[in-house]
Amino acid sequence: MPPPDAAPSLSEAPLLKVEGVGKSYGLRAVLAEVCLTVGAGERLALTGPSGSGKTTLLNCIGGVDRPDTGAIFLEDSRIDRLDNAALARVRRERIGTIFQFFHLLPTLTVAENVELPLQLLRVPLAARTERVRALLERVGLTARSAALPSQLSGGEQQRVAIARALVHRPTLLLADEPTGNLDSANGGKILALLREMTDEARPALVLVTHSEAAAAICHRRLHLRDGRIVAET
Amino acid sequence: MTLAALLLRRFSLRHWRLAPGQNAMLVFILALGVGVFVAIRLANRAAVASFSNFTDVLVGQSDWIIEPPDGTLPESVLPELRAALGDRPVTIIPVVEATGSAGNSIYTVLGLDLVGVSNLETAKFEQDKSLEAAAGFWSDLRPMPRIWVGPRAARRRYLSLVIGETPCVLPVAGVIPGVPDGPPPPEDLVVMDLPALQRITGRVGRLDRVEFVIAAGPQADARREELGALLTKLGADGERWSVRTPGARRETAAKMTAAFRLNLTILSLIALLVGLYLIFQALDGAVVRRRGEIAILRSLGVEERTIRAVWLLEAAALGLVGGAVGLGLGWAGAQGAVRAVGQTFNALYFTTTVQTASLDLGDAGLALLLGVAASVVAGWWPAREAAATPPAQILGRSVAAGPGLWRSPLVGVAAFAAGLVLTRLPALRLASGVRFPLAGYAAALAWILGGGIGFAAGLTLLSRPGRWLARHSGGARIANGHLAHPSGRHRLAIAALLCAVGMSAGMAILVASFEHTVRLWVARSLQADLYISSAGARSAAADVPIPSSTWRRLAAYPGVGQAWILATFPLQLGPGAPTLLSGTDLGMTQTHANLPWVEEPRSGEVFDPRRNAGLALVSESFSDRFQRHRGDQLSFPTPSGIQTVTVAGVYADYGNERGAILVQEQQLAAWMRDDSATHVSLFVRPGVSAETLRVYLRRDFPGLAVLTQASLRDHILRVFRQTFTITYALEVIGVVVAVAGLALAMASVLLDRRDELTTLRALGFSRGEIAWASSLEGLAVALWAILGGLLLSLALGWILIRVINKQSFGWTLSFDLPRLQLAILALAVAATGWAVSYGVGLWGANLPADQEE
Repeated sequence: MPPPDAAPSLSEAPLLKVEGVGKSYGLRAVLAEVCLTVGAGERLALTGPSGSGKTTLLNCIGGVDRPDTGAIFLEDSRIDRLDNAALARVRRERIGTIFQFFHLLPTLTVAENVELPLQLLRVPLAARTERVRALLERVGLTARSAALPSQLSGGEQQRVAIARALVHRPTLLLADEPTGNLDSANGGKILALLREMTDEARPALVLVTHSEAAAAICHRRLHLRDGRIVAET
Repeated sequence: MTLAALLLRRFSLRHWRLAPGQNAMLVFILALGVGVFVAIRLANRAAVASFSNFTDVLVGQSDWIIEPPDGTLPESVLPELRAALGDRPVTIIPVVEATGSAGNSIYTVLGLDLVGVSNLETAKFEQDKSLEAAAGFWSDLRPMPRIWVGPRAARRRYLSLVIGETPCVLPVAGVIPGVPDGPPPPEDLVVMDLPALQRITGRVGRLDRVEFVIAAGPQADARREELGALLTKLGADGERWSVRTPGARRETAAKMTAAFRLNLTILSLIALLVGLYLIFQALDGAVVRRRGEIAILRSLGVEERTIRAVWLLEAAALGLVGGAVGLGLGWAGAQGAVRAVGQTFNALYFTTTVQTASLDLGDAGLALLLGVAASVVAGWWPAREAAATPPAQILGRSVAAGPGLWRSPLVGVAAFAAGLVLTRLPALRLASGVRFPLAGYAAALAWILGGGIGFAAGLTLLSRPGRWLARHSGGARIANGHLAHPSGRHRLAIAALLCAVGMSAGMAILVASFEHTVRLWVARSLQADLYISSAGARSAAADVPIPSSTWRRLAAYPGVGQAWILATFPLQLGPGAPTLLSGTDLGMTQTHANLPWVEEPRSGEVFDPRRNAGLALVSESFSDRFQRHRGDQLSFPTPSGIQTVTVAGVYADYGNERGAILVQEQQLAAWMRDDSATHVSLFVRPGVSAETLRVYLRRDFPGLAVLTQASLRDHILRVFRQTFTITYALEVIGVVVAVAGLALAMASVLLDRRDELTTLRALGFSRGEIAWASSLEGLAVALWAILGGLLLSLALGWILIRVINKQSFGWTLSFDLPRLQLAILALAVAATGWAVSYGVGLWGANLPADQEE
């Protein structure tokens, strides 16, 4: 895996800013005083042992969970205080998400899965069709566009998930162990694809991973332990 | 503690606590199913029990009762009986029974020899001194006999009743003395002295029955046997009177109403049948969701049979709770249902005044047993599935549910074909003589199951037109995707809803067809301008006479062109086989009634009073009950001996289920030695207003009910609708259960799809959009089930009308489709299905990804 290009300049205001975020489940503190920033086009890896709070932090950034304390800014908006409807709008317009277990909708075809975020944004049919066609061609799945997820291999499913996460040109891409459910050969191909496509579309990427190879495609790496950032490389 | 009990406590019950809402819904569905069954059972029993002798309340149970096979007994039998009994310690109680009405209340009026009854230890009719001391105003009413009434009615100083055709203001003398330790006297019972009631009802010198009470003692049993034999001998083996025990009246009522009660009981099982689908679905869904947990238990060494036992125990516990709640609901429902059942009994069989239903330990046990049995039957397949979960299958979370049977439309087609064969089979004759259309019900069940399976398999067809909508909306795309690949949960929800809609709409078709037929019958039969009966006759089956002096005055009344009388007498054609013997001018039935024929007379002989002696027409119900058709001979007892007639024709009559024999009026009067009438129809002279004449008749005959043709039509249709009130309630409950089941099914589907919900949220779907997707899916399921249910209802309507109704009641009905009612049913189910699915979608949109249930 080649090293990442130089990190984009952060002289401009950061795309994502996390300030003193804390989160507890009952008496158990999962995140404590987490601060980080990510610039536009930057790829940031979050690493750490199981239970260190990586996925919870990702969920808070993605707006599917809310921090108890602190603040999260995406571009110029503080998103942790938005109501549910506004958060949903933020996710559909500005965030793309890739999951470890792909989470493709099992009853939709490959093309329909990729098209769905554009439908939410009410993109006209012709434009949607063209964008989906282009992306499927880009991830090498044009021939499988009518297949259901259950008819695809794990690698193919994750390529569909990447296409779906990028189809609406989000400014922030979140990836939770994107290679965690793939063998090393397929994992390598997915990482390469992810790197290429984020280079092309220039979204900021926050990637949660245990994998050294996955962390290696990122410009920066933050290491979490017991809900705190303990190292940055 | 056994392992199964441990697992039940540690796993099953904890899952219940995790999803209290869904389990409460499941308990509610089961409770509603059990409750409806219990309510109908209690109401039926209460209504039948009301046919016991009212004299039981006063004197305890009589030992023997004698009744004439027709009409009334002459009072002259009393000295004959007294002489025959000699010095035997037997009290003879002559009885006249009538019906009285006061507004909407109906009373049973009992005329007894109060002095004779007071000699018994049990009954002391004493004057209430406080009432006696009331103002002198009451002395003006002295000509009216005093009455004894129930405790509540005794708070009043008088009771205004119309008995027979006589309006009476009756001073209240006191409270009816009940039997010590016996039930309190009913509020709908009025007791007066025998001669007074004989005078009021025009039955001077006549008795309805005579009861005999043997003095208690060591030889009472032997005396009872001896007395029974003596009375039978004196009655000339049934020719003068029949001898029966007090329980026989109730048994007769039970026999007469058995078919109706059986049909109602089966209808009451709609909700439980629909509930079975839903419990099956819910428990099966729980197996799918807990598969990982089951797999872990299996890998830890828990045996298959233990898993199966735990699952069945969980189902039984659910059934127990549902049964207990259902028992309470059933008791409460019975208090309402008993009035509705009573109305039907009044309309079709006998006068009943029952108001409340009671519950005993047996009912409680039955309700719990029904709940547990239904739940265990529904839980059997999920228990088998749970036990068969391989230990390695920890991560599996399949959305396929239910046996493979549900996925094969061929099974549906086979069930439908089997049902078709069953419709050709005849009714089963029970020992009681009741015809039970077992094959008809089995056919209906086969079609319900077949329809559910066949239609559920076709849900994917809906996804084709849904593609267009899917292009325009993300929510529609999600919903349509699920329709294209439906789970077992969808199939079960469709089957349950289809069953409820099909049965409800099928019943609606039956009722509409019945109403349509009755309307046609009324239009053909009611040709006169005014219809007159005793104001005291509040039941369709009541036979309160109008004396000949009265109906002759009516016939001669100014403005009346022609009078047409109908006289009706009760008749026993064997034990437990009551029917009616009627007399009218048969010629007028041809010229004025336009009877709808089932078997038309071959010649006009029966309509000619000079030639129709020995000929009779019989109603369709009579023909079916007693298997007599055109050309058959028929014998029956009358006060002037056994008469034999030939059946000249069979006509359709929807007035009562007992059936009737119709002969020429003069012939009947001679046989019965009684020329009174029960109904008089008047044709007004040209130029006379029927309404004006009605006003005058009401003034001059205050004890008669005088109705115009239009108001009688309205009255008949109102009675008809009252008769079916309870069926409407049962239909609504069935649909409520099914819609609740749809909500449960959608909740179950969303629980199965927690991963998908997480994805949708991550993709930017708002709560509203997730709910929208869920509502579209629920709406599509509801619409498909409604379509299937309506098609099924056509088949069920046909079975109900042409097979079950014909075999049970002997009525031929024309087929009528209540389009508006079916459209309202479809819209209501679709709208509620959509709304509950939307609500469930909102709930599902909030489900945390990692919450277990």
